[in-house]
Amino acid sequence: MSATIAIATRELRAFFRLPVGWVVLALYAALTGAVFVMDTLRPGEPATLRAFFATAGVLLMGVAPAISMRLFSEELRTGTLEPLLTAPVSDLALVLGKYLGSVLFLIALLLPTLAFPITLALVSDPKPDPGPILAGYLALLLLGSLVLAVGTAASAMTSSQTLAFLATLIVLLAFTLTTSRLPSELNPRLGEALARWSPTTRLRDFARGVIAPSHAVYFLALAAVALSVAWGAVAGRRTG
Amino acid sequence: MLEVRDLTHAFARVRALRGVSFALDRGEVVALLGPNGAGKTTTIRCVTGCLTPQGGSITLAGHDLAREPLAARGRLGYLPESAPLYPELTPRQYLTFRARLCAVPRRDRARAVERAMDRCRITDVARRRIGHLSKGYRQRVGLAAALVHDPSVLVLDEPSNGLDPTQIREMRALVRELASERTMLVSSHILPEIEQLADRMVVIAAGRVLASGSGESLRRAHAGGTRLVAEAAPGPGALDAPTLPGIRLIEDAPLEGAWRRLVYEPATASAPAPDDADPRAALAAALLHTGWRLRELRRDEPTLEAVFLRLIESAAEPAPNAKEASA
Repeated sequence: MSATIAIATRELRAFFRLPVGWVVLALYAALTGAVFVMDTLRPGEPATLRAFFATAGVLLMGVAPAISMRLFSEELRTGTLEPLLTAPVSDLALVLGKYLGSVLFLIALLLPTLAFPITLALVSDPKPDPGPILAGYLALLLLGSLVLAVGTAASAMTSSQTLAFLATLIVLLAFTLTTSRLPSELNPRLGEALARWSPTTRLRDFARGVIAPSHAVYFLALAAVALSVAWGAVAGRRTG
Repeated sequence: MLEVRDLTHAFARVRALRGVSFALDRGEVVALLGPNGAGKTTTIRCVTGCLTPQGGSITLAGHDLAREPLAARGRLGYLPESAPLYPELTPRQYLTFRARLCAVPRRDRARAVERAMDRCRITDVARRRIGHLSKGYRQRVGLAAALVHDPSVLVLDEPSNGLDPTQIREMRALVRELASERTMLVSSHILPEIEQLADRMVVIAAGRVLASGSGESLRRAHAGGTRLVAEAAPGPGALDAPTLPGIRLIEDAPLEGAWRRLVYEPATASAPAPDDADPRAALAAALLHTGWRLRELRRDEPTLEAVFLRLIESAAEPAPNAKEASA
């Protein structure tokens, strides 16, 4: 446990000690901020953050793989994974530590955006409904955690950060397309079975302010599957 | 302290290890020697737990590496070749990180880090980023990281690789200091350095142990014994360079003018001539008798390098049955 936390804190600090962390942070805040100012912060607009959450979710699909691509690929490339593998730390603790570090950075990424609901609460009348805002942040966290878990697995498989980034993006897009677009082309029973795995319908529920525990379980379970793939990939590094 | 038994491993089609066994007693310093591709690094990666061998077993300070990997790895300090480190950290931050990974209790951590930095003389750069340090310093940071949890066995892979002469001297002095107090497995290409350092040498090539023992015993057993080197010139009407019973001519190279360099070695390589059978006088007499002029005749102790080269060459020869048995 202590080792997991040690790895997570080193990982989180690395994001802030390297320019890439600050660039990602600044870009994310700037882009979501632009959407907030242009779409929401206007006289006569309803006091909701829907536009922000929609953009933030899409952006996250591109930004989160950029966070996770470093995790193992960088260490594979520079050789620092070797001393890590010889430390008295289990492979699972190593994977969880890396993943936890990236999730903490995701939280750091979302923190500046809290300025938007606060601004909205200050300037709008009537006040915004806190339900959808809470649900929206929970959705971002859950979606981000899933993307990061997939990214962790991809990163554990290659020493190329570019490849890890692209693989994460491709897996996510393929999964979203097969569960969201493909069902309408198939026979109804198969289509329905596939559509139940769709992340987009669940995200739409969150956007409406519905917090269903089953949706949270869905994201966390998929993340757990991706992390066990990462675990297997790290363990596989030891067999040559 | 460290026991390696019958390691085998293959990558894709290449059999990197074909039954490597050796053992280190407490306090012993053993050097792992071998040409590139001999299986040195694979052996080290197995010993450090980076790579799980397909066959054989490794015991570290009483813990089987396969059955109790964490306990065994906790007793190990490892400096990989070229010391990979996180450039964005300072040495102190990195050592603290390693100490946490190696479960050094929180109350001892700061002291353990200071001790390791002091030991490897990096305290003066403790606050600088590793990425800004010279290669020599980085190597020492890597060594300090391998020491921070006070391991029972220290494994160093090519500790002075890629350093400049001054840095090599510093690193060598440091490793020699550590050698006096720890069980250590070192791999290196620099043979004279390793001979000063190690109690024993394990020579591997083509994935198997060719020989092991002290430098002295390897020399005696594998370098064909003491050679005789003569510088002589054939006079008018001289015969071919003479041979004597018990020694044979292995080299006849031209020097300046008519002078030639003649090298003899004992005819039976594994059983060198005893001291009382010094053939120098007989050789000198034979040379003069066959019409040669002699200006120098000396005994030549084989270097470890010669031992090493001979071992590697003999392993590469396709002739012996040993090769067939191994295939």
